[in-house]
Amino acid sequence: MTEKIVVTGYGIISSIGAGVEKTREALLKEEKSIGRVAHLNTCHTDIPCGEVKESDDELKKALGIASDQIITRTPLLAMMAMKEAISTSRLTDQISTAFINGTTVGGMEKSEKYYYDFFEGKHTEYISAHDCGAGTELVSHLFGHFDLMTTISTACSSAANSVILGADLIKTGRVDAAIVGGTESLSKFHLNGFNSLMILEHQPCRPFEKSNQGLNLGEGAGYIVIERESVAKARGANIICELSGYANTCDAFHQTATSETSEGAYRAMTNALLNAHLKTNEIDYINAHGTGTSDNDLHESIALKRVFGENIPPFSSTKAFTGHTTSAAGAVESVISILALQYGFIPANLGFSEPIEATGLIPVQKTLHRTLNHVMTNSFGFGGNDSSCIFSKYQPS
Amino acid sequence: MDALVQELKEKVIQALNLEDVTPDDIDANAPLFGEGLGLDSIDALELIVLMERNYGIKLKNANEGKDIFKSIQVMADYISKNRTK
Amino acid sequence: MSIYIDKAAQISIQQPLCNEWFSNPSMPTDRLCKFVRPDFKQYISAAISRRMGTALKCTLSSASACVSEEKRSNLDGILTGTGLGSIENTENFLLAMLEGEEGLSPSNFMQSTHNTLGSQVAIAFKCHGYNITYAHRGTSFDSALMNAVVKFQLNEYKTALVNGVDEMTEKYFQLFDHIGFWKDRNVTIEDVRNATSPGTFAGENSVSLLLTTQPSEQPLCELCDTQLFYRPSDEQLKTCVEKLCHAFNINRIDAIVIGNNGDKENDAEYRRLAQLLTPDAKQIIYKHLFGESFTMSGLGIYVAATCLKEKRVPAHITMDNEALENPQTILVLNHFKQLDYSITLLKSC
Repeated sequence: MTEKIVVTGYGIISSIGAGVEKTREALLKEEKSIGRVAHLNTCHTDIPCGEVKESDDELKKALGIASDQIITRTPLLAMMAMKEAISTSRLTDQISTAFINGTTVGGMEKSEKYYYDFFEGKHTEYISAHDCGAGTELVSHLFGHFDLMTTISTACSSAANSVILGADLIKTGRVDAAIVGGTESLSKFHLNGFNSLMILEHQPCRPFEKSNQGLNLGEGAGYIVIERESVAKARGANIICELSGYANTCDAFHQTATSETSEGAYRAMTNALLNAHLKTNEIDYINAHGTGTSDNDLHESIALKRVFGENIPPFSSTKAFTGHTTSAAGAVESVISILALQYGFIPANLGFSEPIEATGLIPVQKTLHRTLNHVMTNSFGFGGNDSSCIFSKYQPS
Repeated sequence: MDALVQELKEKVIQALNLEDVTPDDIDANAPLFGEGLGLDSIDALELIVLMERNYGIKLKNANEGKDIFKSIQVMADYISKNRTK
Repeated sequence: MSIYIDKAAQISIQQPLCNEWFSNPSMPTDRLCKFVRPDFKQYISAAISRRMGTALKCTLSSASACVSEEKRSNLDGILTGTGLGSIENTENFLLAMLEGEEGLSPSNFMQSTHNTLGSQVAIAFKCHGYNITYAHRGTSFDSALMNAVVKFQLNEYKTALVNGVDEMTEKYFQLFDHIGFWKDRNVTIEDVRNATSPGTFAGENSVSLLLTTQPSEQPLCELCDTQLFYRPSDEQLKTCVEKLCHAFNINRIDAIVIGNNGDKENDAEYRRLAQLLTPDAKQIIYKHLFGESFTMSGLGIYVAATCLKEKRVPAHITMDNEALENPQTILVLNHFKQLDYSITLLKSC
């Protein structure tokens, strides 16, 4: 049997606040944050989002970065969460460490602003900051030295797939630790993109609601530090929990629609359970993908029923808190799942009142306090890139 | 109305990039989705964009398209009643 | 367990889906060279292709050429590297949006996400296996290849498809021109053999490799391992090569593929490392034929694998302009701006 992979650090920023403490507090108090955007320059001001309160300049200030440094918002958000992940884990580059970053928007939020200027030779320093890997490179400078670094871009499951790759790199002995997660800032580009797909809600989203229309976009970043159990123990790290299982599958049906039987989501959850050697009745809470679109919520419900039968564990989507943080979602929600496990609570699925007729599933509507041993989190992306991860209470080997 | 039907056929072919299809191939009363042209949910969204750009008709909800895009004829009827340009 | 490159297919600025480049290459004469398109209709039906951009059509074609129909749904993984994704679609959506945020067409947006390429292959192949996309500049393809090797090493894979795809538009070419990516003239083989100025030229590529533990009768070669590094020390790279040779019982590396592209700084690093890692190996170059892109390293692997299968390195792709007969082992080296590095070791079957 391969060695356990443990979580020793985490960091997060989203519209509900910066840092794990603020995040936990907001979840427990059921604080709402979805509203009008203040920083994103768009004509769609009637579309509410989960925007991080701080401006670029405020983020730079908080990070101690010169205000004239060339850096886009996606890596700025990443740095906020990354700093916290590094400090909570007390990881140093004495341990061979990988950095796996998930993002899709990359530097688009500046490219869309300066696009015409670029051709006149202005702001050209942002041209090489456009691609996804550029942000990863910038963020990596916060840590002493990474032995291996890459960027995953599978849309809304990017960060979940970063967790998976990081774990596999540790399992095969390529590294002993990995900082994994993802980051995404709001951009006019993907706000308009989601709007062209007509899946944006014009009020705060209500995941798993009968009459749901769509999702709210959010922004943020999340990272967790995972490492080989023996390495964590040897350096006296504070072990928060275990990463006990995960799976990546593909729905292989349509770029934006889900197959009738939710094959991808079904396989992601089933295979993650197999990977974790857990039975369905051992899962105590599911942090659902639950975007608020009728397509996702109906099909995720169908998949939940296929996997768990009549005994579906308590589940909720926390996207009504943070909005859909797209490439960061897998990490933002992993951190939330870890907090739930660590502090024994199930966050509420805000805004829910009536179940979807076809499936009748009812999420957790008010925060519950109870001991949790195994928590599953789902991340499903465009193109049917579906992944699930399971975090468990740490049981020393 | 016939002119609008013909115009719509051309615009639909263009918007949906139906390469090997000519206006004559499309039966104005045949269903657009399902068997007919093999269109999907993204095509429905493209048709909504087509109506907005060409005829100033804005749908709030993608589901409203279901009844409007039954056939070219139904679509033409809807456009002639609701167009703002 | 051994991993084999069972089949490989390329679409690039050379003749597509064949090895014409090996015996009869065409010499690129432009600063921006576009895909030589295959007959897409052979691989994609008109009904499916009508919304697809060029990069996606090329991906589906090279992937289809690589995997026979009966194997498609059984692939354990489809792993794709792309530096920029379908930038043609991204640009179309961006330009329309900059004109006004109303009435935008969703098709371009839908295709603009990097993972469209790999997930569309899964959709076409009805493959529910592992599906992932890497977008990490010059090691996007290498990341996908490494991830595949990792999954084989975990005994989770029997077969996998790895793709490396990038297209280049006129506009994006101009943007990169502003930051000194390209030479102000076309790049010749002399530039690649002995670069004296900055800049390279742009190519486009879609390369697909079918990896398997159960090869057909004529696999191209064995894939020993792919290792990724970030700002490695020379010692780290040297140790890596030594360890790989030891693990795979190799006492001599016959040739090394280097990514010289005519850019002085880029090429100097390759020459330095080739000398350090494999001083006696024949140096193979390929970017004079294919141009540069974020995933051109995929063609580096393709070229090396083809040479192992053909049992020959032709003179027109060597630094010293002399052919090498019967190579047994080839190391493929890639670096991006001296930040990200990869080493891949291949050996003949």
